[in-house]
Amino acid sequence: MARQLHDTLRELGYDKMISQTVEALPDAKDRLAYIANLTEQAACKVLNATDVANPLIDSLEVDAQGLASRWDRVYANQMGVDDFKQLAAETRAFLKDQLPQKTGGTKAQLMEIMMAQDFQDLTGQVIKRVVTLAQELESQLMGALIEVMPGERRTESVNSLLNGPVINAENSGDVVVDQQQVDDLLGSLGF
Amino acid sequence: MPDPKMKFLVVDDFSTMRRIVRNLLKELGFVNVDEAEDGAIALQKLQAGDFDFVVSDWNMPNMDGLTLLQTIRATPNLKHLPVLMITAEAKKENIIAAAQAGASGYIVKPFTSATLSEKLQKIFEKMDKGA
Repeated sequence: MARQLHDTLRELGYDKMISQTVEALPDAKDRLAYIANLTEQAACKVLNATDVANPLIDSLEVDAQGLASRWDRVYANQMGVDDFKQLAAETRAFLKDQLPQKTGGTKAQLMEIMMAQDFQDLTGQVIKRVVTLAQELESQLMGALIEVMPGERRTESVNSLLNGPVINAENSGDVVVDQQQVDDLLGSLGF
Repeated sequence: MPDPKMKFLVVDDFSTMRRIVRNLLKELGFVNVDEAEDGAIALQKLQAGDFDFVVSDWNMPNMDGLTLLQTIRATPNLKHLPVLMITAEAKKENIIAAAQAGASGYIVKPFTSATLSEKLQKIFEKMDKGA
């Protein structure tokens, strides 16, 4: 049987195509691994940046609220001269030092988040090449399959509960495209 | 109002997604969060610790989220736990299968913090009514 398949493939001229395919696949695997690597790095960089920036913003908020409530006491005539002097000095220090230091720190993290998006350019180029390869493989394999496979089998779709993200929702009627449709479906079933 | 000390278990095989969900929960006031990278590890942690809430992905190695959900529902000391699915699986039969297995909520990726907050709120309301 293997012999037969081998001969048939050779007769149809597919033996060369298959060897090309086998050569192309490790390259495609490497490229996809590269994409997975870069996107993971980018996600980590962004999450690290938000982890650094969030406490900076939080402390600014708390400090500003603290100063504001003490200023409220000034305006309500509830503060003595010494406390007022202290408040004025602290407010000045806040405006001159803490505020610019923490906004500067936050800005640096925003820059980090921006720079983490540089994977888009690199992965975009690599993805394009893999897509081209996949298209070539598809058309060659389709050619081979159409010759050997009975017609009714060609339209069978894979039925499974583990499909991953929907890449192209327009092509299939049995998937939802957003949260609203999930909620509607569950609602219609009484969940 | 839900107890802010509520203990969450976030189950996802991607560490970035676990971090994102953890951060979102933190924004919503829940800081008591542990993580597991698949269903099998999740079950071990659930048996060992006193968790109040499970947020799980579906597609994971070793044990997937649906099996985890079914196992939780079939385990006497865990079956009361609310389980919120957050998954990229968006087939109608997936959603129905999860609902039939006893999922407390179903969020399809990509999702927003508003969606997470809304679904959690809904589950808390149901928990209050049930209690």
